[in-house]
Amino acid sequence: MESGLSDLLSVSVDFQTSHLYFPTIITWIMAGLFVAILVTKVIPFLAAVKRGERTLPILGEPMDAFRFFGTLALIAAYFYLMAVVGDMFPYTGYGFLFVSIPFVLLMSLLYAHEWTKKALIVICINAIVAPSLVWYILAKLFKITLP
Amino acid sequence: MEFLSLLDVTFFLLTALGALVGIIFGAIPGMTATMAVAVCLPLTYALGLNHGLALLLGLYVGGISGGMVPAVLLNIPGTPSSITTTFDGYPMARKGEGEKALKVCVIASVVGGLISAAVLFFFAPILADFSIKFSYIEKFLIILLALSVIASLSSNMLVGIFSGVIGIWLSLIGDYSISDGGNGKTRLMFDFMEPYLFEGFSLLPVLIGIFGISTVLLEAEKGVKSDLNDERVKIGKGGGFSFGIFHGRFTNMIRSSFIGTFVGMLPGVGGSAASVLAYTQEKNLARDSSEMGKGAPQGLIASESANNALTGGALIPLLSLGIPGDSTTAVLIGAFTLQGIQVGPLFIPENVDTWYIMMTALIFANFVMFFLMFFAIKHIAKVVMVPKHILYPIIVMMCVVGAYAINYGIMFDVWTLLIFGVLGYLVQKVGLEVAPLIIGFILGSQAEVYFVKSLESYGTFSIFFTKSPIAVVLWLLILASVVFSILMSLKNRAKQRQADIS
Repeated sequence: MESGLSDLLSVSVDFQTSHLYFPTIITWIMAGLFVAILVTKVIPFLAAVKRGERTLPILGEPMDAFRFFGTLALIAAYFYLMAVVGDMFPYTGYGFLFVSIPFVLLMSLLYAHEWTKKALIVICINAIVAPSLVWYILAKLFKITLP
Repeated sequence: MEFLSLLDVTFFLLTALGALVGIIFGAIPGMTATMAVAVCLPLTYALGLNHGLALLLGLYVGGISGGMVPAVLLNIPGTPSSITTTFDGYPMARKGEGEKALKVCVIASVVGGLISAAVLFFFAPILADFSIKFSYIEKFLIILLALSVIASLSSNMLVGIFSGVIGIWLSLIGDYSISDGGNGKTRLMFDFMEPYLFEGFSLLPVLIGIFGISTVLLEAEKGVKSDLNDERVKIGKGGGFSFGIFHGRFTNMIRSSFIGTFVGMLPGVGGSAASVLAYTQEKNLARDSSEMGKGAPQGLIASESANNALTGGALIPLLSLGIPGDSTTAVLIGAFTLQGIQVGPLFIPENVDTWYIMMTALIFANFVMFFLMFFAIKHIAKVVMVPKHILYPIIVMMCVVGAYAINYGIMFDVWTLLIFGVLGYLVQKVGLEVAPLIIGFILGSQAEVYFVKSLESYGTFSIFFTKSPIAVVLWLLILASVVFSILMSLKNRAKQRQADIS
């Protein structure tokens, strides 16, 4: 009996495949937990959605789609263009500077609820000053690598 | 006392600057201490270790404290940990006693912060000394314990464990590093990802994405509404505050500080747990708790001393075991790595000067926070008015700098921000928990090394139970945390049933 148990617990890890040993265990645990949550949480939840007692997250909730997807699109464009412009002026951080200014401007305009004259002036000043200041302090004074 | 020679004017200025910026971050609803640390990280790249630490610890202390301002004035907790401050703070502000309420909070905060710093100073070296003897087996079990504690304190244990395991899984993407004794082969990804993900996702972009970009996305979804209008901010007149308010409240303050420190030590448990626990304890134990929730200073004292006590508490497991006590210290781990420091049992004995410097910065930050907030609270209260449409673009911009510069200019790290920003958003939307996921991500690759190397050398699973008495104790603690969680959920269910009946 004793030896049977220790046989069961003994294990040898092959070095060649050792990089897969722990990930395999974790993947299985993750899959097991996923099924457990599916059965105990998700299925009852979906049933409640069907009865109209609960709403689906994201899809069933009211959301400001314009601002949300606008944010995603702006961020993606920001990251992409930063690298493109950055490659034109390597090692200067201009990619960061030149792309950040329109980004900050557009995102501020996207988020501002009232486009009053005063608000627009503040937004414009901020869009020019903030990236320039960050660029000057980090890239020029501190010599930090920027795109 | 060699470390005294390392302290200079810049050191103190940076700590003070950190505390000020932290307070501002904390005071703006929707921005947390974690975000403050994450966003200001790039500033530390150019600083040395000591100066970087000074800034970061100032930010940490300031960020946690700043949350009291909107909690009192707007009934919105500036950081999750000031949730209970709203219970009594806002009623006081409505009575025109806003300034009095904030001053009570400031004093409670500084006491909480200093008590927890003292506990950190005496306790962390002992714990580190003890854990130095741990082999891979005990280290693995410590990580398992940390994850089981986080999971058991999550709102639902199954969901907590699942979130933690997702974090571990994500941390395993990339190669099984040769420097850790692995075979250098990659896993959990496709071949085309290899140029980007050979070493897996970098820690800091992941953290900055989850805490910075996700927050912006969650706000954007809600339409970035401004929850401020001038009429609601009522700081009141200066009068009404006297130290007499604290008469008979010392037990409360000390007890809440220790509760905060203790909760801070538990890995991955956010500040709200500390202040809620301290608040309910005060409610149960106080001679007269009838005014609590209607504007009683005792509620503020309990809440604020507990949430500031988190700071010292959360640093204990970080510095002695290498396990972050909360999300902010998780970002600090990244900052340490950046400076070439490995936190863990050897950190304090091998870096005695750095350790003293950290303590100095922590204590000094508490005093700066106290003076800034006690005397300049009227001016600081105005930052809750800064519009979000100005702030959020700047936050995103700073996130980019932090991610890009971390490995000296890798564009993929910037994309990691977006990947984990969206992931963090989805995780929070479907009801998974961020804290266990982050802790799992940070500890996952170490857990792998400890686990696989232990099995390679001993060749049997039973070694995890039989290696040493400490291993047995750790298993008992893991068991205890699971049992605790099950008992709590049964209790909650019974309570809910009772509520349904009545």
